[in-house]
Amino acid sequence: MTKNHPGPVCTNCGNKHQSCLRREKSPDVEHALPLSRACAHGRVKICKISGDRRLCARMADLGILPGREMELLCAGGGGRHCMVRINGGTISLDSLTTANILVTPV
Amino acid sequence: MAKVFNIALAGNPNAGKTTLFNYLTGARQHVGNYPGVTVEKKEGICQHGGMELRVTDLPGTYSLTAYSVEELVARNFLVNEKPDVVIDIVDASNLERNLYLTCQFMELGVPVIIALNMIDVARHRGIEVDAEKLSSLLGVPVVPLVARSGQGVDLLLDTVLRVVEEKKPYPPLRLSYGDDLDQVLDDMVPLIEQGGLLTDTYPASWTGLKILENDDQILDRAMKADSTLADTLVRRSDEVTSHLQRTVDTYPEAMIADHRYGFIKSILRQGVISQRFDVDRLYTSDRIDKIVTNRFLGPLIMGVILYGLYSFTFNYSALPVDWLASLFGFFGDAVSRVLPDGPIKSMLVSGVIGGVGGVLGFVPIIMFMFLGIAVLEDSGYLARVAFMMDRIFRMFGLHGSSVMPFIVSGGIAGGCAVPGVMATRTLRSPKERLATLLTVPFMNCGAKLPIIALLIGAFFSAHQAQYMFLATVVSWSVALLTAKFLRMTVLRGESTPFVMELPPYRFPTFKGLFIHTWERTWQYIKKAGTVILAISILLWAMMTYPGLPAGKSAQFERQRQEVMAAYAPQGVSAGQEKGRPGQVAESPELAAKLRVIDNREAQAALRNSLAGRMGIALEPISRFAGFDWRTNIALVGGFAAKEVIVSTLGTSYSLGSVDVEHTTSLGERLARDQHWNPIVALAALAFIMFYAPCFVTVVCIARESGSWKWAIFSMAFNTFLAYFLAVAIYQTGMALGLAS
Repeated sequence: MTKNHPGPVCTNCGNKHQSCLRREKSPDVEHALPLSRACAHGRVKICKISGDRRLCARMADLGILPGREMELLCAGGGGRHCMVRINGGTISLDSLTTANILVTPV
Repeated sequence: MAKVFNIALAGNPNAGKTTLFNYLTGARQHVGNYPGVTVEKKEGICQHGGMELRVTDLPGTYSLTAYSVEELVARNFLVNEKPDVVIDIVDASNLERNLYLTCQFMELGVPVIIALNMIDVARHRGIEVDAEKLSSLLGVPVVPLVARSGQGVDLLLDTVLRVVEEKKPYPPLRLSYGDDLDQVLDDMVPLIEQGGLLTDTYPASWTGLKILENDDQILDRAMKADSTLADTLVRRSDEVTSHLQRTVDTYPEAMIADHRYGFIKSILRQGVISQRFDVDRLYTSDRIDKIVTNRFLGPLIMGVILYGLYSFTFNYSALPVDWLASLFGFFGDAVSRVLPDGPIKSMLVSGVIGGVGGVLGFVPIIMFMFLGIAVLEDSGYLARVAFMMDRIFRMFGLHGSSVMPFIVSGGIAGGCAVPGVMATRTLRSPKERLATLLTVPFMNCGAKLPIIALLIGAFFSAHQAQYMFLATVVSWSVALLTAKFLRMTVLRGESTPFVMELPPYRFPTFKGLFIHTWERTWQYIKKAGTVILAISILLWAMMTYPGLPAGKSAQFERQRQEVMAAYAPQGVSAGQEKGRPGQVAESPELAAKLRVIDNREAQAALRNSLAGRMGIALEPISRFAGFDWRTNIALVGGFAAKEVIVSTLGTSYSLGSVDVEHTTSLGERLARDQHWNPIVALAALAFIMFYAPCFVTVVCIARESGSWKWAIFSMAFNTFLAYFLAVAIYQTGMALGLAS
């Protein structure tokens, strides 16, 4: 995994990550809903992050990547803001962002 | 002399960075701003093992990209200041996300020590972290600790000293980011090294990575340094971006992030973490969130908590505010007794003691307000308030976090704009913060309440409660609509996505609360001694000079003598001076007559002062809103403090000084005055509610926005808006014949 670092060997990425990202074009995407419309308590799988490059990058930084699962904790005002649990942390997402995260229920 | 080392504290928001900083540095902190931005820069000193450690608390970030000002500040500090060690505070109960930043420090090649914080919380959640294994796999020291209690902090400092003395090189970590990106990076790095592109600041591999990530700042710097080479690298980056878009419908930065998380997962899966419970089980914090942020219960709970904070701030600070007022009153009396009459005494009593005393009188309110906010902030609730309010405030171009400054400033009538402006610090986006701090002065602060109550009582006494409520609704409406206007014009820009990690609920520590409260209060106190002192002396001079001509003064003195002579048979001889003896003061009729003369003299002196002349000069403009010169003087005085409006109106209407708590006589006088009627009162109410903030607020706006430009804008814009509203009300009301 590392080019110049001793020790760690990636057992999780490589082909699996390629397939995570390719999954965006899987049939799941066709049935996926924006998070803004699916926001209710329960688990969902992220299918695709749409929106501009900056938003995709920001979501990636937070670990919101296609193929990951997250727990919806609650919907905010009007059901369009969401509070989600992912990677052990709780993240709030506004309506602009949730409209660009396509998910399917798990 | 002890050797000095520079240490940077970095980490995700809510990882416990500030708690560790407070533990290390205690009260030996200096708070300032990073150059050119309003991000707070905290520095402190810590002694350990005979060495002095200069500790800088960097802003909390998730990443080292260029998406936010905090991220830029953090990474610029690391590459420009080159600290001897970076302590990366990592939340042990949330390792995967926190190590993402660690990974980027290692890519940047900075000497890093991982402070594995909150191991007690992790254990409580059934998570055990093998710190030694993590250290050997990552190749950096890892020290488990609990920053709240200080457990493990000595070992951390020992490790810091060991690392700075070892001077071991930390080569930049190069991960694999997938075949496509690795290939491009392999091509880029030799080109960057040969061309020396930014190599004096950043490692070549890091520059290459940032060009692939389309990092604005690095692209800009690269273009300036060597545009030909930068063009070549950008072309290469564009090619691979198109390829990734075509094949996997993603961008390089998402691919890079995915591989960083993959690297972290691979480390954690090698026995670093053992979990007793289900990884994604809901913790107490999440269960509380399900209730506290519930669509129906959430706003109710929030209303109760915010009202509680408001009551706490203004009720509990009332007593110390009175003590301070008495203290400054005592100083004023003492100076009055010691010094002879004259301009020096007047300046010291009215300008210095009155001005600075009035400003320092806010200190208890500010201290209680910051204590309340610190409790909400440190407990994690403030982030939930922002989450719930964001949708409503976003419609007006503001942010969920704007709610607190509005409430503190008088959203529930009776607050204060000074702490409100300072409370905008919880906002991160500069434009939303500016829009908030420019509109919070529209709230009905405690100082505006006496004049609002006076005018409503005098002209709309049959519907006092309804008009008071209307005043609150109008202040909110004007503030939010103005915010929307500013965000569509001078502060135009995209809304910041409300994406933030919500901290788990925690009990705040006393030390943390004390330090948060004190450092913010101290900044305010320091300001009172400098700019505010100068402005209060200037305002005093404007309302005092040039004073009455000698002939006019002599005329009033003659009137006094005549009145006293008329009472001479009661035991007073003509020729006695203004300091009347007890027997005269005991005669109520004489005292009343003398008071009338005193008030007339004060009115004449005020009219002749610079502020008075301004009031008269402004009359041709102000008459469109229905204000005569006497009202104008009171409004000019209101710039010193809104409380002054009532007392100045009292003076300009020859009523002498009027206690802001007892304004009945002034109200009756205004109701009978030919220049006043209900329409003028409404126009005056609109003007007073929305015109230039008091000068203490203006100074705070200048300080918080980092520029006097915005403070001047606030004075000019608010006054223009207030004048426009007042003229509209007056002219419409008069045209419709509603004056009677």
